[in-house]
Amino acid sequence: MIAEGTKAPGFTLKDHLGREISLDSLTGKHHVMLLFYPLDFTPT
Amino acid sequence: MPETEALLSRFGAANTQVLGISIDSVFCHANWAVSIGGISFPLLADFHPKGAVASSYGLYLEGAGITDRATVIIDAGGTVRHSSSVTPGGRRDIGELAALCEKVDKEYSGPKQAVPAPGSFPGGSTLFVKSSCGHSLKALNARANFHLEGAITLKNVSEDAAAMAELKQIGGKDQAPCLVVDGKPMYEADDIVKAMVDVVPYLK
Repeated sequence: MIAEGTKAPGFTLKDHLGREISLDSLTGKHHVMLLFYPLDFTPT
Repeated sequence: MPETEALLSRFGAANTQVLGISIDSVFCHANWAVSIGGISFPLLADFHPKGAVASSYGLYLEGAGITDRATVIIDAGGTVRHSSSVTPGGRRDIGELAALCEKVDKEYSGPKQAVPAPGSFPGGSTLFVKSSCGHSLKALNARANFHLEGAITLKNVSEDAAAMAELKQIGGKDQAPCLVVDGKPMYEADDIVKAMVDVVPYLK
């Protein structure tokens, strides 16, 4: 797992509402919380 | 995810944008999100190449082919301030994570901006859909994920002859999905979803 204090790896991915989201476009303006999870349609 | 959706304004107040991420496709995400009451914050598809972003964070479980259930908080300077796993079968404490985001926000001294608050969609709008139509489903899913059931009335032209007549009268054709805002029709599913994204977004 990525260590605290390190630089977050960048990414650009599509979301479920057609938005293209890149980490770089968010940081610089906001903090970001990434919720990684195993699979859709399983308990959250 | 529903617990997080319910706390979005608290994360927003801490200048924090929330993103969900798994190896599922955008289509799977959209349908699942509706099934759990609607999710307006982005659910990202780490779908192809499978788990590439999770791998870069050391959170892809190669043997199982899934992502760990883990949380990473990144400050506005791009530095990881928190990372933790509750294992795939575990449960996150969203309230605790909100408190962590508030702490990160308080301690961060660099430049930052408030996360935009959601706007409101014009009331009295109508969405015309057809049964068994993938494009209609896309528009329907967006309506549910943005919690727009109150602002956008739904009419199914496959089941309701009066609705079909109304649709033809508005735009001169039977094409659906069709979103009518202020009397003006819009037809392409992607454009309809974008119209919702532009007004409602938690994130632009």
